[in-house]
This record gives sequence, C-alpha cells and structure tokens, in this order.
Amino acid sequence: MDEVIKVRQLSKSYNGLLAVQELNLSVKHGTVFGLLGANGAGKSTAIECILGTKISDCGNISILGVDPRKQRKQIFENVGVQFQEANYQDNITVDELCEVTQACYKDAADYKALLKKFGLPDKSRSHVKELSGGQRQKLFIVLALIPNPKVVFLDELTTGLDAKARREVWKILSDLKTKGLTILLTSHFMDEVEALCDNICILKKGQSVFYGTVQEAIYSSPYEKFEDAYLWYSDEEHSNEEAVNDENL
Amino acid sequence: MMKTFSIMLKNEMKLSLRGMDMFIFAICIPLVVLIILGIIYGNKPAFDGAEYTFLEQSFGALITISICAGGVMGLPLVVSDYRNKKILKRFKVTPVSPAMILSVQVVIYIIYGIVSLLLIYIISAIFFGFQMSGSMLQFLGGYLLVILSIFSIGMMVGGIAPNTKIAGVLASILYFPMLIFSGATLPYEVMPDALQKAADILPLTHGIKLLKAASLGLPADRVLLPIVVMFVLAAICIVISLRFFKWE
Repeated sequence: MDEVIKVRQLSKSYNGLLAVQELNLSVKHGTVFGLLGANGAGKSTAIECILGTKISDCGNISILGVDPRKQRKQIFENVGVQFQEANYQDNITVDELCEVTQACYKDAADYKALLKKFGLPDKSRSHVKELSGGQRQKLFIVLALIPNPKVVFLDELTTGLDAKARREVWKILSDLKTKGLTILLTSHFMDEVEALCDNICILKKGQSVFYGTVQEAIYSSPYEKFEDAYLWYSDEEHSNEEAVNDENL
Repeated sequence: MMKTFSIMLKNEMKLSLRGMDMFIFAICIPLVVLIILGIIYGNKPAFDGAEYTFLEQSFGALITISICAGGVMGLPLVVSDYRNKKILKRFKVTPVSPAMILSVQVVIYIIYGIVSLLLIYIISAIFFGFQMSGSMLQFLGGYLLVILSIFSIGMMVGGIAPNTKIAGVLASILYFPMLIFSGATLPYEVMPDALQKAADILPLTHGIKLLKAASLGLPADRVLLPIVVMFVLAAICIVISLRFFKWE
C-alpha cells in the first residue's frame, strides 16, 4: 500500500458557492504533503471532506485503502487529526483530555511520553484553557499523535508557536516521518513547508493551481524564493499590487 | 469498549462535579425541599383518615426534582454545548462514536437521579418515619419510565436547538414550570382545583402520579393514564430527536 491518501475529483460547494473544485491528491507512504493557499482557499474544507466530517458533493476518497465514511471505526484507529479550531470541554485538564483520547484507541501511545517529548510534562494537571497559545497548539499535536497513527492530518500545524518551538515540532515530525508516518498538513509558513513537505498542492478559490514539489514550484515561477513563488501562484501578490495601484490612481 | 466508556464516564463525572450546578440543582435542592416539607408537615397524615403521611405521599414527587434538573436542564445544555464546541466532531475522527459521549452524559444524569433518590429515601426514613408501602418493582418500573420520558425531552431540545443560547432558553422554559407546577416541589395536593387542572397538562405531573401510586401501593387502575402519557411523550421526543438530531 504505497498510496496512503487518495483523492479523485473532489468537489464541495456551500449554497451554490464552490469551496473545492475537482481536487486530486495522492500522498505516498512516509511522505509529507502540504495543502497550501490563502485563508478561505478551501484547505480546511478539503481536509474535512477527506476525513468525512463534511460530505463532499462528488469525488472518490480513500485513506489507507478504504473509504473513511464507510469504515470510520477501522480507519480512525490509525489516523490522527488536529483540527484548526480547538475543541475541548470547559474545565478539562491536560491529563484528562489525553486520558480520554487515549481511551478511544485500541493501540494508543503513552501520552505522558509524548507530553515530555513536546516539553509539556509539568503541564499535565493544568486546565487546557489556562495554557498559552503555543502550549495548547503543542498539546493538540500530541492528541493527534496519541493513536500511534499511520497517517496524521494537521490543520495549521504551528500557528501560535514561537520560532524555537516550531523548529522542535519540525524535528519531531521529521523523525516520525523517517519511521514511516504519513503527514498531510496545511500551513501559512513557507519556511515550514520547505523544511517538511515532499509534495505540495496550492489552492486558489478551491482549485488546484500548482501540484508538485517545492523545487518544481520555484522553477515554474519567475521567482527564486519559494515564498515569492507561492504568492505568485496563489495570486496574493498580484491582487495586492492591484490594490496599491488602485490607491495611487 | 467498556474501558473507553468507563474512562469517559469517570472524566465527564469529574467535569460535571467541577461545574457544581448539577450538584446544587440535582442533589441539594431536592434535599432542601424534603427538609422544608418535613418540618412543615412532619408525620401528619396526608388527609383526614389517610393511611399514609403527607411526607410519604410527597416522596414520589421529591425524587423527580433531580430527574427534572438533569433531564431538561443538564442534558440539553451539555448536548448543545458539546456540539457547539465541536467536541462531538472531534469524536467523529476517532474509532469511538460521538453517540458514546452522549450516552455517557445520560448515565451521569441517571447517577445524579439515583444518588438523589437514595439520599431522600435515607433521610426521610431516618428523620420522618418514611416507609415504602407499595411494590418496589412497580416503583422502579415507574421511576425508569419517568427517566426515559423526561430525558427524551432533554435529548430532543439539545438535539434540535440551533445554538447554546436557544437551548438555554428552552431548558429554562421547560424546567421552571415543571419544577414548580407539576407537583415536584409545591405539592399537587395543596394546589387549588384550577391549578391542578393546569398542572395536568405538564408531563411530569403524570410521572409523579405514577410514582406516588407505586410508592403508596394505591390501586393500579389509577395509573393507566399516566403510563400512557409518559410512553407517548417518550416516543414522540425520541422520534423527533432521532429524525432531526445534528452532530454539528
């Protein structure tokens, strides 16, 4: 099973507005795939359709060879997910949230070791809502790794983390990748994408405007830096220039 | 599966107790009402020539205060809160079904109900000479039926309310009239005729009649209507919540 995540012709619209249009993805075992695009480009919608928490209008999706909507229980033993927005009970402590998450899986990792790895061991008795933004973000990555997953979905991986913490998270994920973990992530940090991703897909208004490696993205653009190339593809640069010109006129 | 359930139950119970409100509404309030009624009426007979005391008559009512608090207040609020916070969505991407966390909540409110029942029983037996004259089996059957129908109202409200705010408003609209006018706190027997007729519209009134008849050992022909009302109510609410329930 080389192809861990497979998406064919995925489309999803809200009230007639297309959020994702004919998206195709293929993520191979032990690789990191980056789904990029401006806010509202359709990244989160795409991830939710792949996971089955949103129903796609059309398209074929498989994770680890099976349809996640049809065989939810089986698939999610091996899939970890970190959603963009945090979802936890009021007044719950780190320990309790980890314990309940661990209890959901047959073959779960030791969450205490994971908390230690991410530098949160002394936080286990704290209330989740009292953690700093960065600590909470780390905790959610820990939760996604508790199932001992074969695949992990990370939506806005390091938002809220400081530079040092981001490097630490990259290191941990790279190590897990060499052990065979497959990762699908979204990110707004291009240095992160360059450091982690084997393949990327850039979305613009729900459509794929680039699909390939970071190097290929740079070569087929007029720029030398990936961030410039990314902005060129996703057209943020272009529309900004227009806005400036409009002001000058 | 059982392990998952018990760990969730343990943690959700801790969270619920940490919230304090259910401890107050489902455990303390029924005891306060019991003590007040006990002080006012003591061991007086329910009416001239009655074979049971006023307090024995009220037992079937007092034990529903906790069911009412958990069922129409606690349950709808927690269901709509967990949906609003996308906690149910998080469980959708685990092997565990979001229905598991809802059944954990149902069990928690049943536990509150049973703890309240036991405390009321113990205190009224020790201090107010309470004795159960009816059949224990019939009483438990009635108790389960009341839980089923009141909780199904809560599930329906929590399941279809579009947000936590509306769920809160609906819960209050259901909870306070039910608490005061169905006879759970203010005894049905002391209400004027007109108020009694109005109270008969409330579903819990019928549940309380059922429990009173069972705990006092009154003849079975008086419970047919309450049983039918409770079953019909439960069936309607369960059908509506299954049909219109939203996970998100």
